[in-house]
Amino acid sequence: MTQDPSDSTIIDGVHYHQFDIVIVGAGGAGMRAAIEAGPGAKTAVISKLYPTRSHTGAAQGGMAAALANVEEDSWEWHTFDTVKGGDYLVDQDAAEILAKEAIDAVIDLENMGLPFNRTPEGKIDQRRFGGHTRDHGKAPVRRACYAADRTGHMILQTLFQNCVRLGINFFNEFYVLDVIMSEVDGVEQPAGVVAYELSTGDLHVFHSKAIIFATGGFGKIFKTTSNAHTLTGDGVGIIWRKKLPLEDMEFFQFHPTGLAGLGILLTEGARGEGAILRNASGERFMERYAPTIKDLAPRDIVARCMVKEVAEGRGAGPNKDYVYLDCTHLGAEVLETKLPDITEFARTYLGVDPVTEPVPVMPTAHYAMGGIPTNVNAEVLRDNTTVVPGLYAAGECACVSVHGSNRLGTNSLLDINVFGKRAGNNAVAYVQNAKFLPLPEDPAVFVRDMIEGVRNNPGTERISVLRKELQEEMDTKAQVFRTDESLDSVTKTITHLRDRYMNIGVQDKGRRYNTDLLEAIELGFLLDLAEVVVFSARNRKESRGGHMRDDYPDRDDENYMKHTMAYLTGDPHSSDAADHIRLDWKPVVMTRYQPMERKY
Amino acid sequence: MSQTIDAPRTPVRPARKKGINWEKWGWIYMRASGVILVVLIFGHLFMNLIVGDGVSAIDFAFVGGKWASPFWQWWDVAMLWLALIHGGNGMRTIVNDYARGKMTRTILKGAILAAVAILILLGTLVVFTFDPCPAGQPADLLPSFCAA
Amino acid sequence: MSTATIDAPAPVDDALKPFIVTLIVRRFNPELDDEPKWVDYDVEMFSTDRILDALHKIKWEQDGSLSFRRSCAHGICGSDAMRINGRNRLACKTLIKDLDITKPIYVEAIKGLPLEKDLIVDMDPFFESFREVQPFLIPSKKAEPGKERIQSVADRARFDDTTKCILCAACTSSCPIFWTDGQYFGPAAIVNAHRFIFDSRDDAAKVRLDILNDQEGVWRCRTTFNCTDACPRGIQVTQAIAEVKQALMRGKP
Repeated sequence: MTQDPSDSTIIDGVHYHQFDIVIVGAGGAGMRAAIEAGPGAKTAVISKLYPTRSHTGAAQGGMAAALANVEEDSWEWHTFDTVKGGDYLVDQDAAEILAKEAIDAVIDLENMGLPFNRTPEGKIDQRRFGGHTRDHGKAPVRRACYAADRTGHMILQTLFQNCVRLGINFFNEFYVLDVIMSEVDGVEQPAGVVAYELSTGDLHVFHSKAIIFATGGFGKIFKTTSNAHTLTGDGVGIIWRKKLPLEDMEFFQFHPTGLAGLGILLTEGARGEGAILRNASGERFMERYAPTIKDLAPRDIVARCMVKEVAEGRGAGPNKDYVYLDCTHLGAEVLETKLPDITEFARTYLGVDPVTEPVPVMPTAHYAMGGIPTNVNAEVLRDNTTVVPGLYAAGECACVSVHGSNRLGTNSLLDINVFGKRAGNNAVAYVQNAKFLPLPEDPAVFVRDMIEGVRNNPGTERISVLRKELQEEMDTKAQVFRTDESLDSVTKTITHLRDRYMNIGVQDKGRRYNTDLLEAIELGFLLDLAEVVVFSARNRKESRGGHMRDDYPDRDDENYMKHTMAYLTGDPHSSDAADHIRLDWKPVVMTRYQPMERKY
Repeated sequence: MSQTIDAPRTPVRPARKKGINWEKWGWIYMRASGVILVVLIFGHLFMNLIVGDGVSAIDFAFVGGKWASPFWQWWDVAMLWLALIHGGNGMRTIVNDYARGKMTRTILKGAILAAVAILILLGTLVVFTFDPCPAGQPADLLPSFCAA
Repeated sequence: MSTATIDAPAPVDDALKPFIVTLIVRRFNPELDDEPKWVDYDVEMFSTDRILDALHKIKWEQDGSLSFRRSCAHGICGSDAMRINGRNRLACKTLIKDLDITKPIYVEAIKGLPLEKDLIVDMDPFFESFREVQPFLIPSKKAEPGKERIQSVADRARFDDTTKCILCAACTSSCPIFWTDGQYFGPAAIVNAHRFIFDSRDDAAKVRLDILNDQEGVWRCRTTFNCTDACPRGIQVTQAIAEVKQALMRGKP
């Protein structure tokens, strides 16, 4: 399906292409942007996978929008829930846009062909989801539009189908590894990207006026994660290495219901349909922690309560290390029609039938709230206010910030559609008047050196060993509960692993489909990002949303009601993270809602 | 070099020519003829093997007697045509599925066509030109009406 | 309810005892080999592990050059379709306990598409035939601005099965017709055409039916049911193809 653009040229073994807009990543955000960009400008979508392999497809439960198809609802309530769910660290202007444009985003998808579940009147059906309430927290509301428990799959397929309809140029299995920056009037601006073609090992330079990053998250810094093996934060890492800032990296969401031991996601929609979390004695423990909305409290709260139950000895199983998600009272019909995929996951991977038995679950690393800072137009920021002209980001890799310190379920599928669309539209508007910037003499030199450096490194360390150690350390020391001590310890581990990373050796020296080399480069990004996550987390001495500090258990609005901005300032290989990372703050935009205690 | 095993798919597909869609009618023919053949064959077997004295009654006179009636002539001719074309088309399908070379395919399909055509011609000829009362044969081998 | 909770079986019981499993993988490095070759690997596995885990173990602990695609690792992304003991399966959905481990497990790339390296094949021809069936909604008139198209629950259910397709190619590459005739559209393309032909919101069923009425279209299907057996999403592929044939006979969905 890779298009072979006839206008590409080969100079010194490097392929050169020219496109007005280059979109990096072919998941939900990337393809949503492409649907806007494709008809308006010459557009290429570059992905290290085939588009339909993207992890948007693994999203299950739904996409929130105040359609009010089944009960009274308003986008203003949705805005409030998003702000409160994010523990008030949400930029409220952005949240308002998200909630308002949600309605059109869902209708757009339906018009494109997405097969939503329907109400008896034939309208889009909606279900309950964690943290979504009527009238500012009074009761759970049916707001999530869904297609069984495969909403993400349907979104990904629908977007891909429409890209096919529009004849979008895809470059599949091309791994983007660098953004080329050129200086214009003393301002650094992107002039294109450099990609490594996995099937041949060739390098490709994509000369472009605008670039949209939609590369997804980096959940693979953790061991137990719902994220795909390929979610290694490459896009976020590239931006970081270009010395552009990253925002709110300490906030990582742990989804309460991952299959115990495996991390495979079981949608919150299960609880939306009425499933209940129970501890070893069968107690519905969420009643104690969130008496109003119980099991439908936001994810950070539920995840912490689960870990607490286990820590206090009320866990189930031979090692007392998980709790149960009880769906047995829902009946076979609800499970088979509304939650068929998760029913199958439990049967396949744990041999547990949710119709008759409760399913062992534990929190799993799920979503990065932080990432590349952007404004509400999806333009990437180089500091708190200045945009980088021609550079856009959308989806999980970006931080607008609509999710604050904790994302509400169903808001991510919304995020990719609302801000993916905005990124596409704004990029089209931008390229109408922008020029192609001159490329440096050998734009691929950095990537060539990086790849050949890894390929020919005579080292002895194995990638898998380093990665495993990183992931296990992050799981034990930087997960749902963090302390200064644990974060300090994992910082040291990362520094040590970075040293060992200099001594890696890949066994596959070939050029074609060298996945050994690929994993080595991905590990480099993981190490960089894990360091930023931990460094930012140490600096935030409070507990808020997805970031929970045992040593600072309370939210501290006086000192920390602001976004973290991390900058790479020096040699990333210097031994002390403080030598090369500088942290700064960015104010939170508040419009309607003043911070309140977060109770459910 | 990468194509060391199975034949790769050629992405260029020639546009379908207008006119009769043989694959579709072939497919429909197989189903329709199949249903009719079930009736014809079981009818044939019932008449020949079960009715009256059953299998022991079959001799020249029995066949001659049957083919004296246009009903049975057409029954058997229908069976002949439907079955041979059904079988021939099935063989063609198998050749299409399993014969790799273009040459092999052409030869095999030509052979199938020839066999079907010859058998249909011969069979039809026999059924319609069959003489139930050949001259100079002992009467006990001939159908009873020959004596008249 | 609470009794059920207490009596629930521990899912990790068997998982505590690892054992050695032999995998025989069909390797091919286009830069070194003229022909693919079978290579044996012994790996220590738990019964609840997946074939994907075994391949990862080989790659991460024994031979880093073993190449295969994978992403989500739980049967949603469709990257890792391969032939396991002669049957097309997703490596991430095939558990060791469901295989006979007294014998070696044979793993090779899916058939019918050009082999690139080890377990990786060129997927472009597969996606090309997907694109040819016009797999996107073609309504005859625009929806009312800001409004969804109305569709009854029954109309939505009509094509539910075929919306599950993840384009992993397990069905198409299990089809004996496709093995010998690469021009055949293949089950996956027909499934994706079916998804739109039977969508009440779509008005271009005729166009797609015309495409599939081709000599290389649905009539090539021999109903061997290999595709239905191979589908990791449980789609009744052969039935979907038969429904398209029926629609062709009627001339409408």
